[in-house]
Amino acid sequence: MKKKIIGIVLVGVMAASLAACGGGSKETQAPAAETEAAGSEAAAETEAAGGDAAEATGDFNWKAYEGTTLHILFNEHTYSKAVIEKIPDFEALTGMTVEYSSTPESNYFDKVNTSLSSRSGDSDVFMTGAYQVWEYAPAGYMEDLQPYIDDPTKTAADYNFDDFIPAAIDSLRWDMVPGHPVGEGSLWAIPMGWELNTVAYNKRIFEEKQVEPPKTTDELMAVATSLNEFDGSGTYGIAVRGSREWATIHPGYMSLFATWGGQDFAIEDGKLVCKLDSPEAIAMTDYWVNLIKQAGPPQWSTYTWYQASADLGAGKAAMLFDATSAAYFQNVEGGSAESGNIAWTGIPLPEGKDTMKSNVWVWSLAMNAFSQNKDAAWYFIQYFTSPEFMQWSGTEGSCADTPRQSVMDSDEYKAIAGSADNYLETFAQLAPNASIFFTPQPYFFECTTTWAETLQDLVTSDKYSSTEEAMKQLKANLDKVVQDIEVE
Amino acid sequence: MKKTETSTGMKVLLNVLLIIYAVFALFPLVWMVLLSFKSDAQMYNTMFVFSPTLDNYRQVLFKTDYPRYMRDSLIVSGLAVVVSVVVGVPAAYALARYNFKKKEDIAFQILSFKFAPEILVVLPLFIIFQKLHLYDTYLGLIWVYQLISMPLLIWVVRGYFEDISVEIEHAAQVDGYSWWQIFFKNLVPLIRPGLVSAALLAFIFAWNEFTFPLLLAGSKVQPITVAITKFLGTDTAHYGQLAVAAVISALPAIIFALVIQKHLVRGLSFGAVKG
Repeated sequence: MKKKIIGIVLVGVMAASLAACGGGSKETQAPAAETEAAGSEAAAETEAAGGDAAEATGDFNWKAYEGTTLHILFNEHTYSKAVIEKIPDFEALTGMTVEYSSTPESNYFDKVNTSLSSRSGDSDVFMTGAYQVWEYAPAGYMEDLQPYIDDPTKTAADYNFDDFIPAAIDSLRWDMVPGHPVGEGSLWAIPMGWELNTVAYNKRIFEEKQVEPPKTTDELMAVATSLNEFDGSGTYGIAVRGSREWATIHPGYMSLFATWGGQDFAIEDGKLVCKLDSPEAIAMTDYWVNLIKQAGPPQWSTYTWYQASADLGAGKAAMLFDATSAAYFQNVEGGSAESGNIAWTGIPLPEGKDTMKSNVWVWSLAMNAFSQNKDAAWYFIQYFTSPEFMQWSGTEGSCADTPRQSVMDSDEYKAIAGSADNYLETFAQLAPNASIFFTPQPYFFECTTTWAETLQDLVTSDKYSSTEEAMKQLKANLDKVVQDIEVE
Repeated sequence: MKKTETSTGMKVLLNVLLIIYAVFALFPLVWMVLLSFKSDAQMYNTMFVFSPTLDNYRQVLFKTDYPRYMRDSLIVSGLAVVVSVVVGVPAAYALARYNFKKKEDIAFQILSFKFAPEILVVLPLFIIFQKLHLYDTYLGLIWVYQLISMPLLIWVVRGYFEDISVEIEHAAQVDGYSWWQIFFKNLVPLIRPGLVSAALLAFIFAWNEFTFPLLLAGSKVQPITVAITKFLGTDTAHYGQLAVAAVISALPAIIFALVIQKHLVRGLSFGAVKG
């Protein structure tokens, strides 16, 4: 009997505590629901207002979506920093409210993946690179932006879309056919900045050691090796990325790989076939593995661009083969111990090659296809890729790699970026032949991660007797990964 | 005589080994504290001798939203543990004292919440959170943190309840105590060491949680684990600031542990009832 009573009391306690939780959730739900109601009311009002305005004049109106709240996902970066700084201006101009989160790169795409694949439209605009488009666009997560640009009621007359550097825009266009190169089809995002990959070096160290910037791959190997321990233990010749992920393949490695004449996939009989066992691919990979073994960072296999570029800035590494911007940030005044000492040079050429093929990375703004505020979201993308904003971000906002020609041509930009030794010259040298040298396909991340694994095995273990064996194995693995892809 | 000598020798040896281990175990923490006093320029070229600077502390504490992140972490982890204690202790009591159908299944089910990988459930949770407007709220995180803090607490406290002889309760009943009085005056003091240590562990686990706050919050609510990665800067890696952020974020758990240390006594009830 007693036990029963105790049991009942206990159930009561648990029920009460559960009810307390439940009550709490209701309380907070209520204001949330209210705000939603308020939000939709406001949205309804502004829709009416915006609709009226648009109908009345047929013109573009920045205030058309007054009262709307936009949710933005940023990757922690100089580009997003510049945008965040100017969000108050955007809110004042449009009457919208912007809520955002800013996440560092290593976890950023986890967040984007969750948000997009939930199809809830909780984020309206997100930052993305070109490779992510190959996964997100076929899944239906991304909105084609071309119709917005072409609609004069949605895009301001002074937007000047044609001003974007073609290579930057083309890398974000894709027709969603695996194997087809970028540059055709829908426009999935608008660039915030584009980065080319090349060699940057510390000219103070080069002068001290009396070496010249390398022009050929043989010179690169010799210079990097000779500069090992140039300033005691821990200092080394050349910083490159090495972490077990796609990001290790796309900067220096892919640029030299393409320059060497390598190719990742080819279309044969309607199928993607991996070409990583070609003589060029094997020779280049062998060279790269040797370069890392001879003169790379001691903890290479953990290196992302943060560590690689920080080493150049700290005077630990004599050279960096990575994004132009990664070295640029180290060179701005106060940016690092070696600021002012960094200079740039082109991609070292292998024997018999004369074209530098720099692989492109482009941070850009894209729209969630499940967004409830698409037109308002486009206003956000439009504002933060406008000539006016980009002029500011390209100069005062320290986004050195502007995707707009007009900004590049401006005296202000030339004065700032031009003060970096050989920076603009290298950029101009690389830009005409720069592109994305990966074959667009939805398994990009799986393939490049496996690729990076093979590189790690080659550098850090004795798993393979030769680079050739490793690359043949890699080819066989990647062929399996992409086997279900049909190319029309 | 000889025996004492060897045992003294043993003691010295053991202590030396323990000291070596302590140095080995504590060195990363010491190194972190050292880094927090180094400027970016001294980061790579100095070891133990450098001119200390408070710049990193100034930068982190006054020029970033760091205090806000700490507050968010304290609110979310602290309240998560409070909820776990309020709900978990009665649940543990029920699982220890009463027999009901599928008792062990339920107990195991609760434990399994802890070892299921978070990433497995995060997408459905994300969708549910969007629908219930719990996304990016304190309540949402406190709720989902129950997956981390509650199972641990229930299992530890259940073990303590099982250790207490039911005769103690019966004796108190004979003395005329009501069930409530028995529970709060008798049982709770007896389980306190277990409750306190489980609560501390639950707090540390909640404090260290990364996946849930990363994916289920992010702009309005930002616990320190998520925010700390921001110090791996946009332009360069500010190791000094990272170290400051890590040092300060380790403090609450340390302070909490020191404060409750006196409660961490075991064996209070041992020998209370002799067969």
